[in-house]
Amino acid sequence: MAALFSEGFLLGLSTGAYCLASCLPVLAPYLLAGGGLSWKINFLIFIEFLAGRFIAYTLFALVAVSLGKASGPYLPQRALAAGMVVTALFMFYFLFSGRLKKHAPCLASLPAAWAEKRIPFLLGFLTGINICPPFAAGLLRLMGLADALKGLAYFGGFFTSTSLFLLPALTPTPFLGSRLKRIGRMTLFLAALWYLFLGLKGLISLP
Amino acid sequence: MLSAYKRLFPALVFAALVFAPVAVFSSRIVSREISFFYALAWAVFAGGVAFASFYTGRVSFFRRIFFSVSALAFLVHFKFNLFSKVFDSSCFKDTPYCHIAIAPSFLNYLYLQYLALMSGGWAVWGPLSLVFVWLFATLIIGRAWCSWACFYGGIDDGLSALPKKALLKTEKWGFKLRDFPAALLIFLLLVSFANMLPVYCLWLCPFKMTGSFLDTDYALIRNIQYGLMVLALAVLFLGPLLTKKRTFCSFLCPFGAWQAFWGKLNPFRISVNALKCTGCQACVEACPMYAIESEPGSKAEISSYCNLCGECLKACAAGGINYSVLGFRMPYITEGFGKLLNPESFLVFSALTLGATFASLWAPAAMGDIVKLIR
Ligand code: SF4
Ligand code: SF4
Repeated sequence: MAALFSEGFLLGLSTGAYCLASCLPVLAPYLLAGGGLSWKINFLIFIEFLAGRFIAYTLFALVAVSLGKASGPYLPQRALAAGMVVTALFMFYFLFSGRLKKHAPCLASLPAAWAEKRIPFLLGFLTGINICPPFAAGLLRLMGLADALKGLAYFGGFFTSTSLFLLPALTPTPFLGSRLKRIGRMTLFLAALWYLFLGLKGLISLP
Repeated sequence: MLSAYKRLFPALVFAALVFAPVAVFSSRIVSREISFFYALAWAVFAGGVAFASFYTGRVSFFRRIFFSVSALAFLVHFKFNLFSKVFDSSCFKDTPYCHIAIAPSFLNYLYLQYLALMSGGWAVWGPLSLVFVWLFATLIIGRAWCSWACFYGGIDDGLSALPKKALLKTEKWGFKLRDFPAALLIFLLLVSFANMLPVYCLWLCPFKMTGSFLDTDYALIRNIQYGLMVLALAVLFLGPLLTKKRTFCSFLCPFGAWQAFWGKLNPFRISVNALKCTGCQACVEACPMYAIESEPGSKAEISSYCNLCGECLKACAAGGINYSVLGFRMPYITEGFGKLLNPESFLVFSALTLGATFASLWAPAAMGDIVKLIR
């Protein structure tokens, strides 16, 4: 088991830069805009984001194991593009929900209010469904194991080391004053526009 | 004779101090492509600016002339050929590496260095090349890069000086949006890294007008990129004419935000003397960078967006603003060779020498282009 954990851990270590590239544009602006002065709050956001990512990965792993083939669980391109649009919408919702509620108080009771509290989780989940090359490599190995517990150990190692790469996102949060938060909100706005654009481009250009 | 000693000779020495290194570096840079005389002419110009600003004490006025001429030379040499083949550059056809691209693509650069190091590709591993140049410039002049060396800044700055009065008053929203470049920088660092592409150069750089860098797969994307470039061009050219502020540098340049952060490594500062400041706010209006924050009646505060251009110095009737080293107030020497020891002289020497040497990559060549055109 330990050997499998460290095998997964090493795979994660060697490919973690990919995770950084795919998750950081979502996580870092959110942490800046939505984080607090206390390190504890920011760490909780971080953990919640990782939990979302973990659940998305586990779902894939489960589906892959049950289908018995690594190529099975890939989401169609259109769903990935739609995922990006949803990511962007959540970002926009986080940025403007305060103003929205001021103008339409009834919104506070909608399911969206739940979503607002769980935005880090949802963002983590949405980045998790966008399978990156290292995770695809991990899935292949998982197929060979054909044992849920062994798979979990291997996958746990992979997840732990790739999460380490995301830790730098926490670095600026102890300095989060109102100015940095304002910068964070503007950054999140730009990131939302970017994801919206990528998602729409994917949806439009796909046959 | 006494007055010549007190004013003229120190100014001549100062000019010679700037002229000599610029002449040496500039001639080394251009000599393989064009005549040495163009380098010499450029060094004489830099020395002349040094002399005039030292002799008259009007630092920002002559800085602006130098800065705008340098930026105009950049346009003449590298961009006029977009209008007609007549303006084709005779030498140095490629633009020099753009400093603005350093900031938003820094993570990409680090990652590539890391890969090269890990694969044993020592030849490609060059943290001592580009980053060293940037670090050197930052240590020597810090944020002053943006008022003495940058080719975009020179256009923005020169145009902002043209109108007598601002047609559009921007203070209300200008200060609110002043942190936007910092957000743009963080965003660009992340998405450039995620896509391993220079996203700023592709999407926002106003000078990328050739089309060769554009994504050609989708007409829609190409049109959006063109649209954003036109917007950036408008902010660079029209913005300063309407607002009398450096709109591109204040709102769209990620390097400006980057230097605001790292510029603290450099010891030169602009300092306000609290005893002299009356809170009149003349400097707030004069600052083209929205870098002075002050409520009416309270003391002016200089933010890290200050790029040491010196405009506020001449705007302050009470003489309450000075160049300083790390904010320490020192007596200002007004005459004689002692004037060479003022922080202002050190800054002008470093910034002008560095700015003129950097501009040697295009300014002497632009003179060559003009001479060729006249002939
Ligand atoms: S802010 Fe940007 S464009 Fe302006 S002078 Fe500085 S580097 Fe150049
Ligand atoms: S504070 Fe003064 S020196 Fe600094 S940018 Fe503004 S006008 Fe220029």
